[in-house]
Amino acid sequence: MALNPYFLQGSRGEQRLVQSLINEHLKIYGQEVTYIPRKFVNQSTIIEEVTASKFDDNFAVEMYVNSYDGYSGAGDVLTKFGMSLRDEVELTVSKERFEEFIAPFMDASDDIDLASRPREGDLVFFPLGQRLFEIKFVEHEDPFYQLGSTYVYKLKCELFEYEDEVIDTSLDIIDTQVQDEGYIATLQLVGVGRTAQATPILGSGYIREIFLNNDGSGFTGTPTVAISTSPSGLPLDNATAVAITTTRANVTSIEKILLTNAGAQYTSPPIITISGGGGTGAAATCSINTASNGVIRFVMTDNGIGFGTAPVVTVSAPAAGIASDRAIGIASIGDAGNGFNRVNSIFVQNAGIGYTSALPTVTITNPETISGVGTYQFNEIVQGMRSGTQARVKKWDADTGILSISNVGIGTTTTGFFKGEDVKGLTSGALFSVSIYDKDDSTDKYNEGDIFETEADAIVDFTESNPFGTF
Amino acid sequence: MLGNYFYHEIIRKTVIAFGTLFNDIHVRHDDGVGNVISEIKVPVAYGPRQKFLARIQQQPELNKATQITLPRMSFEITNISYDATRKAGITQTFKAADTDDGGKLKKVFMPVPYNLGFELNILVKLQDDGLQILEQILPFFQPGFTLSIDLVKSIGEKRDVPMILNNISQQDDYEGDFSTRRALIYTLSFTAKTFMFGHIAKSPEGLIRKVQLDYYTDTNTQTAKRVQRYTVVPKAKKDYNEDNVIDTKDEPFIEPGDDFGFTETSTFFGDAKDFAPNRGVDI
Repeated sequence: MALNPYFLQGSRGEQRLVQSLINEHLKIYGQEVTYIPRKFVNQSTIIEEVTASKFDDNFAVEMYVNSYDGYSGAGDVLTKFGMSLRDEVELTVSKERFEEFIAPFMDASDDIDLASRPREGDLVFFPLGQRLFEIKFVEHEDPFYQLGSTYVYKLKCELFEYEDEVIDTSLDIIDTQVQDEGYIATLQLVGVGRTAQATPILGSGYIREIFLNNDGSGFTGTPTVAISTSPSGLPLDNATAVAITTTRANVTSIEKILLTNAGAQYTSPPIITISGGGGTGAAATCSINTASNGVIRFVMTDNGIGFGTAPVVTVSAPAAGIASDRAIGIASIGDAGNGFNRVNSIFVQNAGIGYTSALPTVTITNPETISGVGTYQFNEIVQGMRSGTQARVKKWDADTGILSISNVGIGTTTTGFFKGEDVKGLTSGALFSVSIYDKDDSTDKYNEGDIFETEADAIVDFTESNPFGTF
Repeated sequence: MLGNYFYHEIIRKTVIAFGTLFNDIHVRHDDGVGNVISEIKVPVAYGPRQKFLARIQQQPELNKATQITLPRMSFEITNISYDATRKAGITQTFKAADTDDGGKLKKVFMPVPYNLGFELNILVKLQDDGLQILEQILPFFQPGFTLSIDLVKSIGEKRDVPMILNNISQQDDYEGDFSTRRALIYTLSFTAKTFMFGHIAKSPEGLIRKVQLDYYTDTNTQTAKRVQRYTVVPKAKKDYNEDNVIDTKDEPFIEPGDDFGFTETSTFFGDAKDFAPNRGVDI
């Protein structure tokens, strides 16, 4: 008999012995790496490729570095696409350790179909040098059937090509490796917000309400509303109003007329004239009240700051306490010049009736964010509270208020963030207001798109339009 | 021999114009049920660069976790060639006001037509990304897209420069063993039909000091006799030489831009002489 009679040449006991020796060897001489399986978010048919992936599991396991004298591969090279790191490494992992320690967890995941072996496309985080390697080939027959079995997988890996994959393993040392990689937009956030305050001015002989008898049509601009002057002759007693237009079915008409000053000392209803704006047919009348006081206008004592939407203005009811007699104000917001909205003025929609000389109180609801709260978490989804735009957090710098985000437009809304809106962390609950939204990537040292644009503005004549974009 | 220094940065401007065509291209990914989960503006850069600068800019931290970030576009000039089909007459000129020289009118020789060959390379990780990028580019080129470029700023010379898309090639190394990664590169070759301007000469400053015109009895000056000479010279309107009198002695001091008049003289002849311009006398 040619074979050694003291061995059975492949009994289970012999194979277990070899496997145990290999496991022990790897635990002694190996490196503790992190195995990160790829989960398919979207797999394209016809053009067979996984167009979206995420990596949100991690398994610490020992692997042996086969090339003891460093990475193999071409190293760092300069290509026409910028720097490319072509490091490669070959790692050996125990077959038994993988199948007992990692495979069951992968198998339990709904997102992973093949769980019985290491897979091409999965990642290995290599702690020496903090590199993310992608497995490009799994060799399972090297060494070739010792005692009738194989005991290890050899993983041929090269550095990961990153695009927009979500790497959220919950291990900071891994997740933060790509926080400056990929297409990153920035939000300059500020936690400012201040309630606006206004004082009501009372008067009698005022316009109680304006009735829009005919909303007109064909307006191309905002018409002017002129109201005949008060008999008192005092400028502040003259009623003034503005028209708000609306467009329906391509026809622009007047939606409503709001008083900026309800006037005072009128003895008969004044005449309202609507002119300009390119439209015709609009007409309005009004009723006046001479019996009691009403809120004829509002004086802003503090315009406030940080309003995403117009706040609600509530005026206290007159002394008689009849709710329907109370005055109604409508706030108008606009840019305060620093990127945030303030209350510019409060229109009188209804001056109310039955007020005495005692000033009613005016309450204006708070802006959405009085002060920024919380800390955005890495990789969480943030959402603009007005635009509905979602994005994923790359980095949050609380000192500068700069939130780096990627994947802007997650979900169905891709409009981008609005200036002045609140951005909420859907996991952390952090809430700040947007001062500046910069959709261009300023962290990518390769991209020169902005530079081309700036330089081209001076020499290229896009007189009519730039067909290649607005930017 | 060629002499005068000039540099209009025409090739650089053509590179900028070419680059700006491709700096607003986006790639979107969805989750398979219609929700957009990411949108990337594809970075673009002029490929050739100083090696040390690339290393310290793009890899300031020596340990980098990833190989490269994709998708990316890069372009570069591949050749420069004379375009004989657009050749203009070498003595043909046009006039232009030079803002670098006080708005003075300059005589500019027609530019020389040159074709710049460009190669736009698109490196993508996914075939789908490449197709998205290509489809955002190709419809604009039939086969060219013309840009109006201010090639020589000082004379405001805007020229239409067609960017012609010549060829598209695709490299997809999906076959073979697993030790090499699949590289997906689309290469679009373009020709930019630009123009090279030469030196724009400073115009000599001066005043025409005398205009002299002889009239003959017939167009054949060999046989006809001259009958009248009409002469115009500038006439001073102020005392340039400060001799308290304004006369012909002030005329040599008149400068371009001064307020001056003209002295017109008509002389009649009965002789058979002709004026010799080289000698300045009648012979």
